[in-house]
Amino acid sequence: MSQRITIDPITRIEGHLRIDLEVDAGRVARAWSSGTMWRGIETILKGRDPRDAWVFTQRICGVCTTVHAIASVRSVENALGLEVPLNAQLIRNIIVSAHAQHDHIVHFYHLSALDWVDVVAALKADPKAAAALAAGISDWPGNSEKALAAVKEKLAGFVKAGQLGPFQNGYWGHPAMRLPPEVNLLAVAHYLQALEIQRKANQVVALLGSKTPNIQNLAVGGVANAINLDSPAALNMEKLYKVKDILSEVQAFITQVYLPDVAAVAGFYPEWFKHGAGVTNYLAVPDLPTDAKATRFDLPGGVIVAGAAKPEVISGWGKDQPFIQKVTEGVAHSYYQGAEALHPWQGETNPAFTGEWKQETPAPQKYSWVKAPRLDGKPMQVGPLAQVLVGYLTGHELTVKYVKAAVDTVKAIHKIDVTPAMLHSTLGRHAARAIRCAMMGELSLKHWGLLVENIGKGDTAIFNDPMATLKPGTTYTGVGLHEAPRGTLSHWCVIESDGKSMKLKNYQAVVPSTWNAGPRDEKEQAGPYEAALVGNPVADPKLPLEALRTIHSFDPCLACAIHTHDADGQEVGQVKVSG
Amino acid sequence: MARFSVIGIGNVLEGDDAIGPTVVRVFEARYAAGDDVAVIDGGTPGLDLTAYMMGLSGLVVVDAIKTRTGAAGQVQVFDKKGILNRGPIVAMSPHEPGLRESILHAEFQGVAPPQISLVGVVAGSIEFGCQLTPEVRGAVDGAVEAVRAALAGMGANPVRREPPLQPDLWWEKPQPT
Repeated sequence: MSQRITIDPITRIEGHLRIDLEVDAGRVARAWSSGTMWRGIETILKGRDPRDAWVFTQRICGVCTTVHAIASVRSVENALGLEVPLNAQLIRNIIVSAHAQHDHIVHFYHLSALDWVDVVAALKADPKAAAALAAGISDWPGNSEKALAAVKEKLAGFVKAGQLGPFQNGYWGHPAMRLPPEVNLLAVAHYLQALEIQRKANQVVALLGSKTPNIQNLAVGGVANAINLDSPAALNMEKLYKVKDILSEVQAFITQVYLPDVAAVAGFYPEWFKHGAGVTNYLAVPDLPTDAKATRFDLPGGVIVAGAAKPEVISGWGKDQPFIQKVTEGVAHSYYQGAEALHPWQGETNPAFTGEWKQETPAPQKYSWVKAPRLDGKPMQVGPLAQVLVGYLTGHELTVKYVKAAVDTVKAIHKIDVTPAMLHSTLGRHAARAIRCAMMGELSLKHWGLLVENIGKGDTAIFNDPMATLKPGTTYTGVGLHEAPRGTLSHWCVIESDGKSMKLKNYQAVVPSTWNAGPRDEKEQAGPYEAALVGNPVADPKLPLEALRTIHSFDPCLACAIHTHDADGQEVGQVKVSG
Repeated sequence: MARFSVIGIGNVLEGDDAIGPTVVRVFEARYAAGDDVAVIDGGTPGLDLTAYMMGLSGLVVVDAIKTRTGAAGQVQVFDKKGILNRGPIVAMSPHEPGLRESILHAEFQGVAPPQISLVGVVAGSIEFGCQLTPEVRGAVDGAVEAVRAALAGMGANPVRREPPLQPDLWWEKPQPT
């Protein structure tokens, strides 16, 4: 008889991800992914000046503010055919790559590592043995016996006081936890160091973006960072060198700690290279342009269908790219009106709530507020894995370099040969995120160099006026692409202009978590989360750690709004089991 | 380096969830908080909140709250113990670590502020949109004063501006038709 599991962290009022599983004989037989909140950014943007849109869109999500700001200005620039000065491209690139490093580090250490690391078991570790183990992997100074002994002591103090702080709800002692005590101790030490490093990565965003969490330096047509190497008020030499110092420090952590940690942990759980593939169609768009016209990019884009070895290359951001016309969003199983899957430029977001989903199986016809995006009618997996596979299979040098570094590290520690085919998996997504993080670290430093070099040539241009070329009686359509930490993000806009002013007629954001977390479509094809969960083992239905492992490997980010503090202290059910 | 911070949490596109950002912006317009106080519209930062509280002597957070009994617009102030009155959640996404989880992370690192105060306003509607409900709009003045009192209690000294500045509540600007 099958069992039903609902994972529903309803501690925030609404606006989060809910996962429903049907488990049969210890394996997931069917899965449903639903988002519980309506998000209709276009209703707020309709009629507004497109130059203001990014200020609103960066509030869609409090964690990914920067990416929605970037995609929005790119969308309007794409519509108007507006070039962006090289300095502005490079400043934006450094911001988004620093943001990506921050985001990937937080995801691994603070949101998902606890699926694999048994914090309490670290108390059984011998700091000397842990330091010796770490010395064989990298020469990171934070791995000294003294540092590890201090972490162990700190942890012991928390446990003794019965106060496990942020760790108290982990699945400690779960039979699926398998790391040796020394590796657990190293992971706890790196968790603490990562808190400091991710904060530093975010400092770069603040230094260049004027402020975090919501950057203020963007403009349709460029950036607002006046460049004057000698002025204290402008982007000057002092600020630029501070940025470089921080980026170098973060990159050292990524290559000496994050990448080796993922390799070390992965090798203890090799069966997770077999679970969690799901949808093996992948989409990644090119990013980090290196010229004003955005014709050359440092991150490659492409489409992979059914795990094919030859990606179809996406070479740029132009509206003539074939994939642009093939994007649709379906609502057959989403709480919206309409029957046909629509292209985002024609997209509608008219809610049609048909009632809350209780416990019935299968799910009711409509069960999610998330739409179902498709490319040429096919579900697509987006994210670091898509990015890394596209790069690897097209021979992109930097991707190949860090894939090789990861594969070699797993081999050195565990004597396991990881093949690129094994990347289609739960662990593959974690590995790809670490690989991409290292790439972003290296590229942020490269783009810092390009920026300093370009300023050195005497170029201080930062802005092209979007109003300069407006034509009366014209409708412009555009798409802003960004390969965000969670994958391909696209903002689609339709603008009307009378030649003197402009306003938004339509605006649709197709976000990475919509591609990955979306529900079934009109052809009953499951979305990537739903497909990836099928076949996962579940040892204990009350503690569905294995399902969390696969979901967390996507780096879900759906709760784009509500952060309400629950003041009452009533117990809120997180996992429900029935059947 | 600021010794104190006032952080407004919430999404300005989500009705009453905008109360945190609204209150800190109105507070900043009415009071000169002083050089040792950082006033931050924090949006919905999730775990990033930890970074904003590191090493402070005092933190005041303004956020929408839900309670079983409170009526919309009611202002309730909690101390650190009151905020931490139950366990953390197992987070699914980076948003879910909330105030409680961020404080616990900071505690574990040894960088949590010794004094923390939450000025909570019970939310009415958190539907998509850029306006507060009348009940919650009516709570702004009281919440601003609660922020001032909390800061004063921690040893900061906000001074009333005469005349006050115009708060920048840009999201409330009406949509052209």
